[in-house]
Amino acid sequence: MKRRQFLGAVAAAAGSLGTSSAAAGQNCPCVTSGPPSEMPPGSGDFKDVGSKLRITGVKVYGVTLDAKIARSDRPYVFVKLETNQGIVGWGEATLEGKASAAMACVQDLREFIVGSDPMQSEHLWQLMYIGSFYRGGPVIGSAISGIDQAIWDIRGKALNMPVYKLLGGPVDPRGVRGYYHAQAWTLEAAKALRDQTVAAGVTALKFQLPTYMEWIETNAKLTRAVKSMETLREGLGPDLDFAVDFHAKPSPSVSAILVREIEPFHLLFAEEVCPPENVRAMQRVAKRTTTPLATGERLIASYGFNELIELGVVDVLQPDIAHVGGVTALWKVGALADAAGLRMAPHACEGPIGGIASLHADAAMPNFLVQEICGAVQSGERDQVWEDLLGFSAMRMVDGRYPLPDKPGLGFELNEAALKRYPFKGTVPFPPAFEADGSLASQ
Amino acid sequence: MKKRWRDSPVFSPPESHGASDPLAITDLRSWRLREPVSNRRYTVMRLTTRSGLTGYGECAPTNASQIAEAKSVTVGRLAFEAEFIRHRLAAEPALEAAVSNAMLDIVSKAAKVPTYQYLGGPTRNRARVLAHLEQKTEDGLPRAVELAKQRGYKAFTFPLPERSQMTRIQDHIDVIRKRVEHLKSIAGEDSDFVLDGAGSMTPGDAAAVATALEKLHLLWFDEPTSVLTNDALSKITDESVMPVGLGRDVHDAAVFQNLLRWGCIDVLRPSVGLNSVRKIRRMAAIAETHYVAVSPHHDGGPIGTIAAIHLAASLPNFFIQQIPLPASDRDRAMRAAITGGDHELAKDGFAALINSPGLGVQVNEAALGEYSEESI
Repeated sequence: MKRRQFLGAVAAAAGSLGTSSAAAGQNCPCVTSGPPSEMPPGSGDFKDVGSKLRITGVKVYGVTLDAKIARSDRPYVFVKLETNQGIVGWGEATLEGKASAAMACVQDLREFIVGSDPMQSEHLWQLMYIGSFYRGGPVIGSAISGIDQAIWDIRGKALNMPVYKLLGGPVDPRGVRGYYHAQAWTLEAAKALRDQTVAAGVTALKFQLPTYMEWIETNAKLTRAVKSMETLREGLGPDLDFAVDFHAKPSPSVSAILVREIEPFHLLFAEEVCPPENVRAMQRVAKRTTTPLATGERLIASYGFNELIELGVVDVLQPDIAHVGGVTALWKVGALADAAGLRMAPHACEGPIGGIASLHADAAMPNFLVQEICGAVQSGERDQVWEDLLGFSAMRMVDGRYPLPDKPGLGFELNEAALKRYPFKGTVPFPPAFEADGSLASQ
Repeated sequence: MKKRWRDSPVFSPPESHGASDPLAITDLRSWRLREPVSNRRYTVMRLTTRSGLTGYGECAPTNASQIAEAKSVTVGRLAFEAEFIRHRLAAEPALEAAVSNAMLDIVSKAAKVPTYQYLGGPTRNRARVLAHLEQKTEDGLPRAVELAKQRGYKAFTFPLPERSQMTRIQDHIDVIRKRVEHLKSIAGEDSDFVLDGAGSMTPGDAAAVATALEKLHLLWFDEPTSVLTNDALSKITDESVMPVGLGRDVHDAAVFQNLLRWGCIDVLRPSVGLNSVRKIRRMAAIAETHYVAVSPHHDGGPIGTIAAIHLAASLPNFFIQQIPLPASDRDRAMRAAITGGDHELAKDGFAALINSPGLGVQVNEAALGEYSEESI
């Protein structure tokens, strides 16, 4: 009964966030709940072998940016953990189209976390993933991700080390190679983009397919898609790397044609060339092309990647640190991929905390390839928001790389007061797409 | 052929490190040790940082030229650069184990936490231990079990009895069964055993033994055969439900990944002397996705034992840690002297965690000197 009341309170709070926070007498746009009913399961077993550090509070912030500068389907979900020694940790649980669910799920996991020792990152990850019965899924995965990143932030601060050093890095102290998102539908636009990109010192870009795709495609749409990538290679020149995100739009049958015909353009990789649930379907595509394939942004935990890795389906894995299970899970996927000779190009298309956390895991992966951030070559208004929140231009590359933080933990201090300027305005569904006949398009 | 990336990881040159970085490694010293009675050999390395911190790591026996190689690779690097060491010493697994573990000792000491906390543990508050019995004879084994029992152990490895070419496999199985029953009568009903095949059987004979002895509920059948092909191992694991442990000579995570993929391994047994704590953690991450346990093999010295217990307390899928149990008092005295006390005792079958910074013991360099064949 008590647990039901707790869940109901969280659901109500998530529905009308600003009001409930004010009613609770708290001057912050965050969801909070009452004290935990008991210590986390098993925590007493570690009293002689754990640290004295204890997590004392969990706060979840929904952060909505103006729709003109950020996609409205993904208000940021930030997680703050507080400790008995004044150290705080931040993580990100942003989940496209499911913000309220991710926020509520963080609070559902609260009783596993408050009172626990944040040094036990592995144990707490297991507790959240296995100990709460339901394993995986994007909502639970994102909630675990936010908490796990915050735990690693605390661990790094407590141990006085940046997280990438705790993980055995840096592999390359110059930083983490990244790519920006871009679009260029004409040869002139591609050439102009090349000049901008080279001038900025950036070495890689990622583009989209020009259209949605049906189960079998017409000559017109196939030709248009192939032509778009031919134009990119011609305009960008031979030296810039570029990837194309198929975004699970084509079926395996359609994708097989596309990735074969774009082989001469030498893509860095083609991403999500078909929907991700059926590994053997994607394997059908992979067997018939030399274009490197990438996937993984919707997969949860190392378990979600195992079959993909062991069947040798793709060349590049793209877990998202805000969904896969945080630093702990991203590092494990990297270890699995390393043993199998696969590269890592982690996905990140949410807020700055997940992006920064991803850099730390990247910097300790010898099999790292490139890091995604949904930004453009030219800085935009969203970068100013990130500067407002963090005090620096988070996720802007210098000479084609994201610099590594020197400070302990994840290496930033978030301005909690600044969050008030971006109050949570509720979940906005991921926008569905439709074909000309009204049928639903895959994406 | 697919387009493949040919570039290898870019690690910074040592000269790019800040000259004053307190975690820069300035010296590597090593001791090649030999136990006086068993002649068990292993190497201990000590790294020193610019700030004066020291860290210790142990590995399988090495020679002087290997130690010189370890020194040339390590001095000038920073103590947290474990991935550099894993790659640079990939072809010298023993060196990777000692150097990486010594670095881990240093960074945990610098952070003032026990190594298992540095790695994200504790995942458990004690570590189950497995006594590796030296004796192989019918007379010696009961004495070894008695000794291990007195030292708090409740799980034991025992070797396959010798078998002449004239002995039928069914008769051999009866001998093994009687050996288990005899040892269990000494160790007690709550004891457990691992049958150590030491890679000595054909896959077919091993399958027959495993199937016939399933109901004894041994913990597992270790290294039943030296034929580590998928087909050979599948003969054992397809015919029998007795768990199979493999990997004491494996130092490449991809080998374990392949065995797991083919479903022919139930317990990963990477050697502590050939794989660093950090490397075994990577192997364990692979095993975790197959719901498979890790129980590291160990036939080295006491510093390796302590590192392994820290590893155990950082892993979610650890089951039991093998610890050598020398028959000789002199050998056991040497091991205790090196780590400033006997840290290989168990209580109710478990080893305690050491909640002190780094490995948590004061290594006695005078003892290292006393028992070393060579100090470099």
